[in-house]
Amino acid sequence: MLEYAGSQHAGRRTDREEGLAIVGVLRSLDWVLLAGIAGLVAVGLWAVSGVTRFAVVGNPSYYLDRQMVYVAVGGAALVVGTFIDPDIYRRYWKPIFGATVLLIAFVFVVGHAARGSTRWISLGFFTFQPSEFGKLAFVLALAGFLADRPRDVGALGTTLRVLGLGAIPVLLVFAQPDLGTALVYLAALVAMLFVGGAPWRQLVALGSIALLLAVGVLWAGPAVGVNFLKGYQQSRLTCFVHPSYCSSADTRYNLEQSIVAVGAGQVKGRGVNNATQTRLQFLPEHGTDFVFASYSEQRGFIGASLLLALYLLVLWRALRIVSIARDFYSAIVAGGIVVALLFQIFVNVGMTMGIAPITGIPLPFVSVGGSSMIANLAAMGVLLAIYARGRAARRRR
Amino acid sequence: MPPSKGVAEPYRPSARVLRRVSVLGVAMLVIFAVLLLRLWALQVLSGTKYVNQAAANSFRTVRVQAPRGQILDRNGVPLVTNAPATSILLWPADLPKVYTTRYAELRALARLTSVPLYEIAAGIKARRAANDLVTPVTVREAAGEPMIAYLYENASQFPGVTTWRTFIRHYPYHSLAAQVLGYVGEISQTQLNGLSKQGYQPGDEIGQSGVESSYDSYLRGVAGSARMHIDAFGRPRSGLTTTAIAKPGNDLRLTIDLKLQQAAEKALQYGIHLAQANGKWAARGGAIVALDPNDGSILAMASAPTYDPSVYAGHVTLGELGRAGLTPKTAPAKNIPSLNRAVSGLYPPGSTFKPVTALAAMQEHLLSPYAYLPCTGTYSSPQDRSHRTFHNWDPNVNQAMDLPTALAYSCDTYFYRVGNEFYNLPADHGQPLQKLADAFGFGQSTGVDVGPEATGLVPTIRWRQQHFTDAVDKLWKPGDSIELAVGQGDLLVTPLQMARLYAALANGGKLVTPHVLDDVESPNGARVPVAAIPAPRQVGIDPAALQAVQKGLWDATHLPFGTSYAVFGKFPVSIAGKTGTAQKVVSLPGYLGLQNQAWWCGYGPYNSPKLVVCALIENGGYGGDVAAPAAAKVFAAYFHVAFHILGPIHSD
Repeated sequence: MLEYAGSQHAGRRTDREEGLAIVGVLRSLDWVLLAGIAGLVAVGLWAVSGVTRFAVVGNPSYYLDRQMVYVAVGGAALVVGTFIDPDIYRRYWKPIFGATVLLIAFVFVVGHAARGSTRWISLGFFTFQPSEFGKLAFVLALAGFLADRPRDVGALGTTLRVLGLGAIPVLLVFAQPDLGTALVYLAALVAMLFVGGAPWRQLVALGSIALLLAVGVLWAGPAVGVNFLKGYQQSRLTCFVHPSYCSSADTRYNLEQSIVAVGAGQVKGRGVNNATQTRLQFLPEHGTDFVFASYSEQRGFIGASLLLALYLLVLWRALRIVSIARDFYSAIVAGGIVVALLFQIFVNVGMTMGIAPITGIPLPFVSVGGSSMIANLAAMGVLLAIYARGRAARRRR
Repeated sequence: MPPSKGVAEPYRPSARVLRRVSVLGVAMLVIFAVLLLRLWALQVLSGTKYVNQAAANSFRTVRVQAPRGQILDRNGVPLVTNAPATSILLWPADLPKVYTTRYAELRALARLTSVPLYEIAAGIKARRAANDLVTPVTVREAAGEPMIAYLYENASQFPGVTTWRTFIRHYPYHSLAAQVLGYVGEISQTQLNGLSKQGYQPGDEIGQSGVESSYDSYLRGVAGSARMHIDAFGRPRSGLTTTAIAKPGNDLRLTIDLKLQQAAEKALQYGIHLAQANGKWAARGGAIVALDPNDGSILAMASAPTYDPSVYAGHVTLGELGRAGLTPKTAPAKNIPSLNRAVSGLYPPGSTFKPVTALAAMQEHLLSPYAYLPCTGTYSSPQDRSHRTFHNWDPNVNQAMDLPTALAYSCDTYFYRVGNEFYNLPADHGQPLQKLADAFGFGQSTGVDVGPEATGLVPTIRWRQQHFTDAVDKLWKPGDSIELAVGQGDLLVTPLQMARLYAALANGGKLVTPHVLDDVESPNGARVPVAAIPAPRQVGIDPAALQAVQKGLWDATHLPFGTSYAVFGKFPVSIAGKTGTAQKVVSLPGYLGLQNQAWWCGYGPYNSPKLVVCALIENGGYGGDVAAPAAAKVFAAYFHVAFHILGPIHSD
């Protein structure tokens, strides 16, 4: 499976690696992906400027100003990420994993609660959400675990162990409670196994177990009186199947208002001033979880499909990186990042249109929020780094 | 830094991994296709539907009630006008969805507006039941300034609550003509069921009694509508945009004369006080009707006790209604102030009915006006098997009288004899007394435009048979004819019916339709066509017979033995009229017994009658004592003259 390149080039390549750090990276950058990311960020800022225009009385650009600062910080993270050799993450996956778990656990100690969930650590000027950064760190760390056993990937023992390891942060996030982000972690983990080459039968078995768990948690558990989920989580997850099943009026209200907002946008959108669902606050959380509905109301089918097209472009270029990656570790990392991104986009966009469960996942590059924006841009930096090094390695061969 | 194992081994993805990457790619495409299709379905295919839903979300349409027309007296003096007020409205759709916060808000609102929580809840429940969540519930009409200010300052605590400029009825003369004018209130479900086809809607104000009710369709105008933007918390975010301008209602000009109405109400109080001064403790009510005998227009209609209709304007509380005697529980103690005794109070007419007896007897040739009949202290009918003795009001009289004298003196025994003649008539003559009473409009509605009207009762042989079960009671006996002849027994009339009778006596035998509406004027002053008042209709009385009766009525007020000579003998205008003292079984709280109902009905000037006045003092004793002076006060006000009573009153 893997080709042995010999050790005689090792010394020379170190010099080249140094050179690659500046010029080489720039020479072999995925400019299409970068353009796609830039486009996404621009559309995201445009969306935020409209969606939050009436959120703070007297300061129409309150959220936009902040979001631009986050973009600037995230952009810096992207640049730094692009120039860091991903192999460093592989070498230090254990400290990364430990720090991530500790940070997520730390939330329970000094956490800042909002809307019934403790996900944030307040830094005074910024509320920091470790679980957002944790997505990237989780992928980097568990990919390291798998890359350390390249020949054992696919063995049942490895799969079980990586699942056991991944379960620690997943359960911590689940307990915050942040079901949506926990599911993102799981999606990324499964994707890494998938790209890493775990046999189909294991994946099918995993899928079956997940299905059984879902049935047990959502239906069998409550039926016998054991509730694993909070009431609102339960209702949100089952609500989208048929709105009249919604047990909670609030959940149904959110979903109905969201669908009305999307639909009312029609082809051209209602504009910022006339988008009543957003402006008159019928649509809850329209800067964060339901930002897509609000954006669709203001910008219509044209604006919404432009955003989806940009997502598709970025995901397509990112998926390509899996096959361009220089090494096994990078390939798994790229796979994990791509699927995590895809999962978030689908669940968030689908939720606003009533075809996915309602979970509190932010829409990447669009939702108002620093942690998500910075973490996602940093993840893009890692992808760009993987691409650049993969390209460079190919050119050398 | 030593080269790592991963870097040292150049990596080329296997075919399997590449296959998996393409699987992911396909999955990605499918997911985006699904999202895009759903987006297409929502925005392009059903977009219009959601635009409408969004609009329904954020627009509230308010029904703008039209300012109600004013009610004016015959000279254009406003009797009922509108005053601006602010009401508090509640939009059920905008209340918090969570029960506990909703309950907390409603409780705070109830405390602020001092409207009981159950009342607000009932309003919301009614909207829910009608599946109507976009029509606001009026929590309180005419809210005070501090309440409004508090609501403005704490708007965020009261989602779904708005204030609204409205008009409420204003009564510059307070209780004046209260029962005639009536009052306005929110439409009830039963009223709505009958009227919804005519454009009435839940929450509308509608006239509940008096002319407010009978001419509601003219007064109410046409409601308009306005739209306002509200946010998700029900707070208005824009001003009102009028979508349909409300058309103000038309003004009613009544035939009521403010000055005469005030005089009549004062006169009624005067009569009641006279009766009380005479020791008539149960004299607590009465009625005075003053109308034009030529066309039936009512110039004054007073009923006591009365109330101030302001209690129905704005915020209505059961407590206030109770204090005013307007709830079923409190009404008996206050002697039922809402009852318009002039049109729906039923009393035996007593001697004021004698002209009908006289006219019917002359028509049947039972009586010749200038032939003499004995007036004795007592009378008993030879045909009466019970040998009942009927007494004259003056037991010491023994004198032969012609008809005018018998009327003037109000001799009962004279009319007992006439009544017995009616009893002795052969069956093929029918019941001429009852027939004439019918012709004068007794036992039926007068057609007056102030309701509800009582029809009264003219007892007949047939009525006796139908109404009673006992074999003896079923029979029409001599006593029935004798009592009917003097306006006693089962006969029941309203003061308005009596006024109508005296109008016919005054105008030469024409029966008028009494009415209070003069005309209807649109807000710009144009006349609005209304159904014409039926023209006076001839009853068919022999003029000579009528003249004899008129003479009797003149004698009653002008000859020293006349029953109201003391009041009208020296009255500056020539007034003719008749007293009446009718015994009625009265049921009062804690009392059941016979009480004398004091009557006086008459007209003036004698030669060209312009005004008929009929006065009734409930349980007031003798008509000459209390009713005649009260009626004289009304004439005095009408003719702008003064009068004084001559010594002790000659009673009936």
